[in-house]
Amino acid sequence: MEFLNFVLILVIVWLLWRRPERERLAFGLLVASCLLMALLFYVGARGSIVPGVNL
Amino acid sequence: MSALTEARLRSILAWVVIVLVAGPVAGAVALGVLHGDSPCILCWAQRTSMALIALVGLFVLRYGPRPKYLGMVVLLGVFGQYMALRHAGLHLARDLGQGFSESILGAHTYSWAWLVHVVALAVIGLLLLFLREVAGAERPHEPRGAARFAFGLFAVVVAANAVQAFVSTGPPPFMGQSDPVRLSLNPKHWVWSMEELTTPAPISLRGSWTVPRADDAVAAADPDPADGPLAGLPALRSVAWERISAPLDGALRGLARDPATGRWLAVTEGYGVDLLDSTATRVLHHVRLDGGWSIDVGPLAGAAFLGGDTLAVVGTNKSWVLLLPDPKADNDSMWKRFRQTDGGVAELDRGRFATVRARLQYVHSLAFDPAAQELITLSVPSPRQRRLVVSRFARSDMALASEFRPSLGPGLTLAGSSRSPAEYLVTGAAVADGELYAVSASFSTLLVIDLGSRMVTAAYALPGLVRPVGVAVRGAQLLLALGDGRIAVLPRPAP
Repeated sequence: MEFLNFVLILVIVWLLWRRPERERLAFGLLVASCLLMALLFYVGARGSIVPGVNL
Repeated sequence: MSALTEARLRSILAWVVIVLVAGPVAGAVALGVLHGDSPCILCWAQRTSMALIALVGLFVLRYGPRPKYLGMVVLLGVFGQYMALRHAGLHLARDLGQGFSESILGAHTYSWAWLVHVVALAVIGLLLLFLREVAGAERPHEPRGAARFAFGLFAVVVAANAVQAFVSTGPPPFMGQSDPVRLSLNPKHWVWSMEELTTPAPISLRGSWTVPRADDAVAAADPDPADGPLAGLPALRSVAWERISAPLDGALRGLARDPATGRWLAVTEGYGVDLLDSTATRVLHHVRLDGGWSIDVGPLAGAAFLGGDTLAVVGTNKSWVLLLPDPKADNDSMWKRFRQTDGGVAELDRGRFATVRARLQYVHSLAFDPAAQELITLSVPSPRQRRLVVSRFARSDMALASEFRPSLGPGLTLAGSSRSPAEYLVTGAAVADGELYAVSASFSTLLVIDLGSRMVTAAYALPGLVRPVGVAVRGAQLLLALGDGRIAVLPRPAP
């Protein structure tokens, strides 16, 4: 899924470079990429969501 | 202070993106190519976050500093710091260099991720601070010079990351792993897995740090010896009762007896520490500690005489305080340490016991072994850490001297295959003649642990003695204290 996210980022930067008029689409994909990143981090961290340190 | 024009902002931002992409985002790929370093699933998310921050920079280069871009980069900076702290929290407290995977300039990658996100937020703050008000939306800017280079570099570095991600994590639906193997271009060594989803991991806020407070565990303990993990224990019954008639300012939480003088040391609710005479009718000295000064001392749970006049008390969180009756105590300097004092006590020191096997466990007892000159605590088990650990600390430096999980001696049998001595919740302990006497609030049981063989050599049911808070030895007698100040006198089992 990390591979998918980097491909998504490449698509976004291509849109910025070659299709600047598609800003809304590019920004929407940026939001999707952020959410995918957060989801993958959550999968890896769900056993202890708060940092494992003395609070 | 000169204002920052939008054109100047774009120029600076282009170089910020170049540094961010050429530094951590490309450097991470270089670590993989040159050293075989593969990111774990958490590392991947942090690396992606850095790439996304650079990408937002490219949005600003193209469309200007729109509020939604600034909002997005602030969110990414905050979330990136959370991710780095959550990740680094697994390793920050380890010993020198004992982090996860490779380090750069002495810091591991998750530590750098934290710094990068902090710097990203700081840079955004500085740029906004100096930015002149900008006009509304206009046509996209055509990237030139450094901005053009930033776009190209970003595309190349992200493509390289995509290749590494494909090799290390695979195509969807495969994803990153907790312990990835080193990077290899040989497909035979590629590991594409979904173990992060298939490994049963309960969703938890604090993970292994979810530990019920020691006092809650004591309050919830089952006092019936018949329900305990050891089968067929003989009963040890009280032959007499005594009581602490000296006025204490709260419920008793721990008790020790000085074998040399017969004096008692009592700790009570509200951080009270009382030195009593040998008849327990008179308070010789009284202080109430300030448990929040400097070192956080948890609710007091145990007491011990360390020889001479030195007194030790311990909190449930393994923080300790050493006290000394001293008629010349400097009460002005003691003010910060004591909320109340009779004026005749000095605090010598306070600190924290550090354990290895009993980490993330509370304690509810303290004993002193005069032969070894060591203080002893026993861990309070919890559903997350199901261990009974005896920890010994050298009196000379209060550091861990040894630690063990007592085994069961001959003649002691568990009541079932799933039962364990870790079900005992020790709330009082004392040492005499090489034996550690430990009383458990759960299942009202006395454990006799031989300190030489590190073995539970005997155990006794204590019918009717509900939630003892301390134990002491007086010759051939064991003295079990209850929270209301009553003391049960029992015959001390023969070694």
